[in-house]
Amino acid sequence: MIKARRRPHEWIGEGAAATAALITFALTLAIFGFMGWLAMPLLQGETLTTLFTSVWRPDRGQFGILPMAWGTLAVALPATLLAFPLSLGFACFATHLAPRRLRKTLKGLAGLMTGIPTVVYGFSAVFLLVPLIREMAGRGSGFSIIAAVLVLALLISPTMILILISAFEAVPQPWQRCFDSMGATPEETVWHLLFPLATRSMVGALLLGLGRAIGDTLIALMLAGNAVLAPTDPFGPARTLTSHIGLVMAADVESLEFRSVFACGLLLYLLIFVLTLLVRYLTRRPAA
Amino acid sequence: MTQENKTTHDTIIQTQDLSLFYGDFQALHEISLSFAQREVTALIGPSGCGKSSFLRCLNRMNDLTAGTRSEGEVVFEGKNILGKKIDVVSLRRHIGMVFQKANPFPKSIYDNVAYGLVVNGLKNRSMVAARVEKSLKQAALWEEVKDRLNKPALGLSGGQQQRLCIARALAVEPEILLMDEPASALDPIATQKIEELILELKERYTIIIVTHNMQQASRVSDTTAFFYMGKLIEVGRTNALFTKPIKKETEDYITGRFG
Repeated sequence: MIKARRRPHEWIGEGAAATAALITFALTLAIFGFMGWLAMPLLQGETLTTLFTSVWRPDRGQFGILPMAWGTLAVALPATLLAFPLSLGFACFATHLAPRRLRKTLKGLAGLMTGIPTVVYGFSAVFLLVPLIREMAGRGSGFSIIAAVLVLALLISPTMILILISAFEAVPQPWQRCFDSMGATPEETVWHLLFPLATRSMVGALLLGLGRAIGDTLIALMLAGNAVLAPTDPFGPARTLTSHIGLVMAADVESLEFRSVFACGLLLYLLIFVLTLLVRYLTRRPAA
Repeated sequence: MTQENKTTHDTIIQTQDLSLFYGDFQALHEISLSFAQREVTALIGPSGCGKSSFLRCLNRMNDLTAGTRSEGEVVFEGKNILGKKIDVVSLRRHIGMVFQKANPFPKSIYDNVAYGLVVNGLKNRSMVAARVEKSLKQAALWEEVKDRLNKPALGLSGGQQQRLCIARALAVEPEILLMDEPASALDPIATQKIEELILELKERYTIIIVTHNMQQASRVSDTTAFFYMGKLIEVGRTNALFTKPIKKETEDYITGRFG
């Protein structure tokens, strides 16, 4: 009889992979539990009712974090919607439409841009973009939703571009050759071959960009003005959940006010979770 | 070089002193060869002899490989198609190509054939449907797939997939069909079907086929050209070339002494 013998490197490899997966899973759950536990004093009792209101007056026991939730959406959604088409265009250009010699340079450029520290984008914008917006709006300080949106779009684009480029390059060469041989223009190849085959990756890039935009703290903190207001005016300020967490934590570590940041954390967590599920659902593979 | 393939047919495409370079390497050496309309020409020779490179010059597929450079002329419809002003996209609509490995798109059988039409801007649905049917019939696949046009193309057998790829190339209605070892990945029965198909297609199309299989060349082609080390050694009527080759290299190759 032939007996299945497991070689040591097989079970070592399997074990290591399983352990890594388990630790990641456990950590994610632990963070969720930890935030829930620390937010408990706030979630119990009367303060809970004030949590989902628009009044943030910790001195009066009102911990409304709704303005911050809206602030997050007002900054992250437009930034993603702006960055995605730009990234898509860039990726198509860098892989298929640009002259051959230029393509390598463009891909290198995208790689380089991912490496620039966020804070550099932030302070460049404080000196270059914010005054410009102040002048254009003719009111306010220039520290505004629109400033954060523009810079955030710039920040998340390179990541999306790199994902899109690798998705487009994963489309098998023989099919591309075949399109060429049928007399398809590069534009037709992009439209009829790349987009249909790379849809899932494209949605993945969109989600990752949105996740980064929601999670980014520094750009909103430096540029959005941070006033606790419901975001209604693009030239006005907003405070995101992330910058709220940063601001509160910098000042305090024990009070109920501090506890409220865990509620913000929970909300962010759930936001990303729901987004992920939604995208999973939308891009599920059709039953074969 | 003697041009023995003078026939009653008109020349549809010809090369004049065509050389091809991959970087510093010269893959083709001053090839002059003409192809008669509605005939099958087989290009034979050992691996690396340049026959596939030559084939790809005829619809400029070599453009897509970085570092290639060509000299000489390829004349089609009175124009040198290697010229800078040639619209490569429309050239390829006149000169179609079938590849060695069947490469249907992960779509339905119908969509695979319709792709080339949609790409070429044909939007009218009934016209597309008519052309799909015609192409599948020309590719001798219609009877086998007419009841499952909406089933995935990847569910077809290898031979059917290759005929589907031929239908896809025909849908664009080219004048010349280039085939790069179209049957080398197929079993003998599927190969036979492809060969029968080639003989049928020759009624309408000019076919230039690269093959490693000398029996195949002798079965399907009117003219055969033998390539060796990037040079055209001999070209002639297929019967003559296989029975009374003029050059010693040709004889050595077709009798199986190398290659």
